[in-house]
Amino acid sequence: MRSLPLYRAILLAIALLLPAAAFAHHGWSWTTGGNIRLTGTVVEARLGNPHGELVVEVDGERWTVEVGQPWRNRRSGLEDGDLAPGTEITVEGEPDADPETRVLKVERLWLDGRKHELYPERD
Amino acid sequence: METVAAALEGLALAEWLRQSRWGYAAVNAGHVFGIALLVGAIVPVNLRLLGLWRSLALRPLYAMLARIAATGLALAIVTGLLLFSVRATEYVALELFLVKLVLVAVGALHASTLHWATRFPDVSRARQRLAGTVSLLLWPIVLVCGRLLAFL
Repeated sequence: MRSLPLYRAILLAIALLLPAAAFAHHGWSWTTGGNIRLTGTVVEARLGNPHGELVVEVDGERWTVEVGQPWRNRRSGLEDGDLAPGTEITVEGEPDADPETRVLKVERLWLDGRKHELYPERD
Repeated sequence: METVAAALEGLALAEWLRQSRWGYAAVNAGHVFGIALLVGAIVPVNLRLLGLWRSLALRPLYAMLARIAATGLALAIVTGLLLFSVRATEYVALELFLVKLVLVAVGALHASTLHWATRFPDVSRARQRLAGTVSLLLWPIVLVCGRLLAFL
C-alpha cells in the first residue's frame, strides 16, 4: 500500500496531459454559433479524408474554409474537380470564435448559383 | 523525407483511403484498437513493476501482457502507416508528428532492449521501477501527441 501515492500521482499526471479543449475540425464547439457568408475565389484545395480544406481569397483576405469529407461533398451533389483552384464560390457557415484565424466551417455553398447542402440539418 | 512522403501519397491505396467513406474510418478504428491493446497492456505491467499488486506473480503477468502490447503496437504501426499515407506530405511538416514518431521509436527500443537484451522481468527492483516509470510516462504521452494531431 505504500505505493498508493505514486499510483495516484501517475493517474493525476495522465489526467493533466489529456487535452482540455478541442480545436478546429471536430464538431462546432470552436465556432461562433452564428453563420456568416463569404464570396471569393478558391486558391488552394486539399480534399479527401480526413478533412476537406479550401483556401479562399475574399476581398484580398485568405480564408481557410473547411468543407466535408468526400462522402459529404458527394451527397451535396459536388463532383470531383468542382472545388478546383480558380472556382468562384460562395460559402455559408460558422467562423472560428477567434476572428483572427479566418477559419470557417461550411454548412452550405453555392457554385454558379447552385446550392450544395453539406449540413442540411443545420441552419 | 518529402519525396518519400509524396511517393506514399501517390499510391493507389492512399488515394482510395482519401476517397472512401468506410475504408478510412475502418483503418482509423484499427489504429485506436492497436493503441487500446498497447496502453491497456502496459499500464498494469508498469504499475506492477512500480510496486503495486506485489501478490501477483510478475513473470506470467509480463509473459501475457508483453505479447498483447507488442501485438497492439504492431497493429498501430501498420494502420498508422496507412493513415500517414493519406496526407503524408502534411504530416512530415508537423513538428508534433515528428515528436510522436521519435517517442514511439524510443518506447519500442526501450521495450525491445529490455525484452531481448536482459532477462526481463528478472532484473533488480530498481531496474524494474525505472522500466515501469519510463514506459508509463512515454506511451501515454505518445497517445496524447497522436490525439492532438487531429486537432491541429
